[in-house]
Amino acid sequence: MSKITVFQTKKIITIDPNCPVATHVAVQDGKILAVGAADCADEWGVSHTDTRLADTVLMPGFVEAHAHMLAGAIWNYGYAGYHDRIDPNGKLWTGLTNIEAVIDGLKTQAQSLPEGAPLVAWGFDPIFLTDERLSRHHLDQISPTRPIAVLFSNFHLMCVNSAALELAEYSQYTNVEGVVKGPDGQPTGELQEMAAMFPVMHRLGIDFRNLGQTEQAIRSYGAVARQAGVTTVTDLFSMMEEGDLKLMQRVTSEPGFPVRIVPAMAATGARPEQLAQRAIELRGRSTDKLRLGAVKLMTDGSIQGWTARVKWPGYVGGQPNGIWNTAPTQIGEICDVMHREGVQMHIHVNGDEASEVVINALDAASRNTPGQDNRHVLQHGQMMGADQFQRCAELGITVNLFANHIWYFGDQHVALTIGNNRATRMNACRTALDCGVHLAIHSDAPVTPMGPLFTAWCAVNRQTMSGRTLGAAQCISVDEALYAITLGAAYSLKMEAEIGSIETGKIADFAILGADPTAVDAQDLKDVPVLGTVSGGVVQLQ
Amino acid sequence: MIDTRLPMTVIGGYLGAGKTTLINRLLAEPHGKRLMLLVNDFGAINIDADLLDSADEDTLTLTNGCVCCTMGSDLFMAISDVLKRAPRPDHLIIEASGVADPYRIANTAIAEPEMRYAGIVTVVDAENFQALSDDPLIGPQIAQQVACADLVYVSKSDGIAADLMRSLRAINQAQPVILQDGILASSLLLAEHDAMHADPSPASHPNYAQLDYSGDMVCDYAALSAWLAQRPKSLFRVKGFVMGPQDQGWLVQVVGQNIAISPIANPAQSTLVAIGLLAATSGSELHDWWPG
Repeated sequence: MSKITVFQTKKIITIDPNCPVATHVAVQDGKILAVGAADCADEWGVSHTDTRLADTVLMPGFVEAHAHMLAGAIWNYGYAGYHDRIDPNGKLWTGLTNIEAVIDGLKTQAQSLPEGAPLVAWGFDPIFLTDERLSRHHLDQISPTRPIAVLFSNFHLMCVNSAALELAEYSQYTNVEGVVKGPDGQPTGELQEMAAMFPVMHRLGIDFRNLGQTEQAIRSYGAVARQAGVTTVTDLFSMMEEGDLKLMQRVTSEPGFPVRIVPAMAATGARPEQLAQRAIELRGRSTDKLRLGAVKLMTDGSIQGWTARVKWPGYVGGQPNGIWNTAPTQIGEICDVMHREGVQMHIHVNGDEASEVVINALDAASRNTPGQDNRHVLQHGQMMGADQFQRCAELGITVNLFANHIWYFGDQHVALTIGNNRATRMNACRTALDCGVHLAIHSDAPVTPMGPLFTAWCAVNRQTMSGRTLGAAQCISVDEALYAITLGAAYSLKMEAEIGSIETGKIADFAILGADPTAVDAQDLKDVPVLGTVSGGVVQLQ
Repeated sequence: MIDTRLPMTVIGGYLGAGKTTLINRLLAEPHGKRLMLLVNDFGAINIDADLLDSADEDTLTLTNGCVCCTMGSDLFMAISDVLKRAPRPDHLIIEASGVADPYRIANTAIAEPEMRYAGIVTVVDAENFQALSDDPLIGPQIAQQVACADLVYVSKSDGIAADLMRSLRAINQAQPVILQDGILASSLLLAEHDAMHADPSPASHPNYAQLDYSGDMVCDYAALSAWLAQRPKSLFRVKGFVMGPQDQGWLVQVVGQNIAISPIANPAQSTLVAIGLLAATSGSELHDWWPG
């Protein structure tokens, strides 16, 4: 028999109704042997007690069921956002809350770069800086010669300085949609959408594809997860080419790699039958820390970008309905094939028309091939109501709602996108649970920061940035939210037999907390400190 | 003086419209160009075995110098990779996905200094277009594919029915060139001055005609912009060099709806070429507008 370690703690919240709280957990071979009091493992023979966690509260390791690998590697660039954020190395980046602060912050970042090297920053959000628009004139104050590009938080826009404009050969003669010009006829520095940003990105070597597929990116992602108490994290739109796979297998197999990664392969670029075959082949190559075999399907766009497909009455500003990234007939075809072949799909649906089209497609697929337990997941599902949740419950569809949106974009949704009535029932966690749907909630990092306790706080309090409670009827309890970020999210990844609760037989994946999230005021849930994680029995303190 | 920028054409159109058929034809037609094609999926690309030089997971290389690649998930990174290729292809052709707005892709060629916009070709399926454009789910996206087209290629039909023609004209006010299936596509699609001249027998593409100008025309930027904006809309292509009043002259590239004027060193004289359908280039509207 190998060694038995009993972790002594202040409190363990197990998410197991048979033993909801405990003080000790015994671990053997990276798995949970027993849970209870100091003597919980006595029946198993000799053990030794580890007191490193004696002053902490343990929960099952959090499961982030919708995030992207880019959340780690994006920190290769400087941060220019409004909110405080912590990078994978644990460094706090103070939020830049006005244009002067942005300029000063970027000046400081430029000091650490070699002469003439481009300065690239990310996370800038003009929504919060309403006085004036960021322009090349501001960025020229940082350097007139070093090319500077500031990516906006939505990754659809950037602002560049005069040196970068010159590299891209943008001038008064440029006549390109997306190259914004001022009253003087000169480019202001703001570039909108990929085509207009392309010449700058090409020349400055800004490459999101490779950024997310390096060894350092994988390690950064692990660090971001660990800081948030996450022990299982998805990468929901992975290319999964052969080289990427080998690299991920190698890095994640190293002893002490802190997180289980669950990539979902992009369902694009080949016939559905071929994609299904590839997914099944990948499933067979899963390892302990790399769980392969699911696919990701895109359908519509985003609500705040007015590209989500929404049902009547549409957008309050009169914007035209959004766009399909995959045609509805193609969605039907892919759903039918994946369902038949037994491949789990994570399906991006933001608007209520998109979720309806997908539910119809999965309904048809399950009639064609009954009896499959694929547990397909609707991702985001932000505008779904009871009618759609009820059908999901009947069809065995899991839902992963975007709770963080309520705080980050809730006020914008009321004022600018879908209006008050529908905004108050966005990300309707209460209705989903009442309909009997298996619920997860997520951050979509790096779109919003990874932090399951913050995500739980959003679902519990539904507070927006202006302080308003957006749809009190949809608030869920702290216990329900903690379930959603552990066992609920694990269920959505078909991993509930292995992770998501602290009970005998499961993997010893824990979040180490500095306070009891069930004892603090619900308003303070987001402020419960995360001290580290235990992954497969290995303690990973910050 | 030659324009060395990489021309880029985008082929748009809904699923099943016939984009792949057009691409297969472009790969096989004897246009003499080293085309680079970025496609969504190889599955339907159909190359004669004796034309195929080599094939791997994501690239087909043809004996005629053409290359066909899958673009992966990130079209823009794929374009970036094409720009890094040495030697560069003669012409880049991108197959937009069935729901993509071809304009959003083609705009890259307008923005990128090392590329040149060479048009949007939208393939329309004569049998299904009306039903698709009436579909509330997908209709607006189908219409946008036609609205931004410089050239509409009608597939699966021997002629173009009057009501289809009316619908297409109603969606695209810019009067794109509308071609029916079966017409040799490459010379208009790849419409380049040199290629037109390289062919010794104009009878091989009887539908197209070309006008040439060289002389002492001088324009400033505003006057040139205004003049080009008034061109007969059914002209597919205008290109050349125009002398400016001071040191600076202008490189002109007009493809369909898109006008690009870039500053260059002042040329010794102004030279312009226009290409369009024969019907369009023989009218008095054109001759009233054309210099000389």
